[in-house]
Amino acid sequence: MHLLLELLLMPLVAFIVGLAMVLMLRKIAARLQRRIGPPFLQPVYDIVKLYSKETQISHGLIHEMGIVMAVGGYIAAETLLPVPGMRGLADMGGIVTLTYLLMVPSLGMALGVGQCANPNGSIGISRALTAMLAYDVPFILVVFGVAWVHGTTNLAEIIEIQQQGGVQTWGLVQMPLLALAGLMTLPAMMGKQPFEIYVAPAEIATGPMVEMGGKFMGGLFVMQCFQLYTVGVLYTTLFLGGGENWPVFLLKVFAVVAIPMSAALMFPRYRTEDMLRLMWKWPVLIALLGLVMVMT
Amino acid sequence: MARIDCPAGPGNGDDVTKDKTENTLIKRDDESFPIEVRQERTNPLANVFDGLVRFCQARSMFMLHYCTGCGAIELPPAMTSRFDMERLGIQPMVTPRQADILLITGYVSIKTLKRIILTYEQMPAPKYVIGICSCTVNGGMYWQSYATAKMLKAYFPVDIYIAGCMPRPEAVIEGLKDLMGDIKTGRANSWKKYFQNYDYYLGNQQKLFGENWQTPTDIVAEAQHYNLMTDQTLGEHTALLEKHQQPLQALGMSLHGQKEKA
Repeated sequence: MHLLLELLLMPLVAFIVGLAMVLMLRKIAARLQRRIGPPFLQPVYDIVKLYSKETQISHGLIHEMGIVMAVGGYIAAETLLPVPGMRGLADMGGIVTLTYLLMVPSLGMALGVGQCANPNGSIGISRALTAMLAYDVPFILVVFGVAWVHGTTNLAEIIEIQQQGGVQTWGLVQMPLLALAGLMTLPAMMGKQPFEIYVAPAEIATGPMVEMGGKFMGGLFVMQCFQLYTVGVLYTTLFLGGGENWPVFLLKVFAVVAIPMSAALMFPRYRTEDMLRLMWKWPVLIALLGLVMVMT
Repeated sequence: MARIDCPAGPGNGDDVTKDKTENTLIKRDDESFPIEVRQERTNPLANVFDGLVRFCQARSMFMLHYCTGCGAIELPPAMTSRFDMERLGIQPMVTPRQADILLITGYVSIKTLKRIILTYEQMPAPKYVIGICSCTVNGGMYWQSYATAKMLKAYFPVDIYIAGCMPRPEAVIEGLKDLMGDIKTGRANSWKKYFQNYDYYLGNQQKLFGENWQTPTDIVAEAQHYNLMTDQTLGEHTALLEKHQQPLQALGMSLHGQKEKA
């Protein structure tokens, strides 16, 4: 019964924190461009508006299933991410399960976009999957390194080890190179600047989202909230020792999302092949060096 | 919305009578359109919910700016740091599927109008059209042009006109705020007008583009599906459309111009 409550609460909390993150990123972008930016509840307005469209244009069953997979994959992932006071399924499925689940949304979107038969969408999703290939290699190396150091793939145990040992056992201090590689892959995992070539509004008309209107777009907006939250919490868990209580935890998670994004917003977009080259060169190299450091 | 009549060009009557676009419009006043009145629901909670939804719709508007003519140049300052439309929840979107507002920012040539109608029909409702610049109101300085569609609202319903040549960003934002007010009070229902009076709009479109004019979106079927049929939806023009209508076919897939073998 307690577990059931947690399974309901964890995605809900993730959604609300994710909404705040979307607002934060839009505010940061606006401030950097010397604008005021959207009002406080803007992400909520957007999602309610998109779900309240009165005519919906569906391209078929797979189109709808794709969105369900995209959102569902992340909802499943949230239950594996321990937060202060809630462990959810973290003891049953470790970081390996989580890595698998994080691929489900991209694949779901690929399915959904496939049925739209829009050439812009196909180009976009092929770029998105290539991007996934690019950031997954350093991501897997980083995850492997962390699991090796702590001798477990259980996220809850990783957090406990770091919290009991204090700051000097944090992943950031113990394996700085792996943390750096992880930090470099963060913007790519969030699908944000400068790695949003698969969205590219002016060139391929938002790529995978090109045929998504109304509730489909609303689903993707929800997915984006989960995406930001998942990436932020995962990094906090692996390298910043999770959180003893909610304020500290939220502070860490927001900082993890905000700091690399503020820097990344300054850069123009990378093309897909440049992104692949960048991702497989620097983060992979740094992560391999980090692995050498922690394994010797 | 008052109908704006422009006098014909001075001492140049011939040009006006030859004019293909304006004189052949189906004469009909806006007043004869059945006006959709928002119905209060019996459940008070449902009314609160409707009000909340309308508030969100007004505070989050994704606009598709169809940049024709000169007015387009007024939109970048309205969106960027000087006037910052995002404060009001207005942001640009790039595909009709995601957009709520269709901004038409200047004169519309006949060829462009075809694309605008295709775009308009692909947008999910509730959708709003804003005509910016005098050219969209009555042709403006292109009144005597043979190739320009004057009076946008004859081809599809327009929610708000922002007159001016060109209107400044303040005026654009003011117009958008007017639209917000209309959405909040439930008066911005022009998208229903298109379904309910499709025969009239299609008639004007056919007069301009010829009898064979058809779009990929089946408006009559959508009107039936969403229960928006009135006695004005079907008529002689939709009958003509049915006569000439070709079933939609998937585009042939080919590489380097080689035709697919059947």
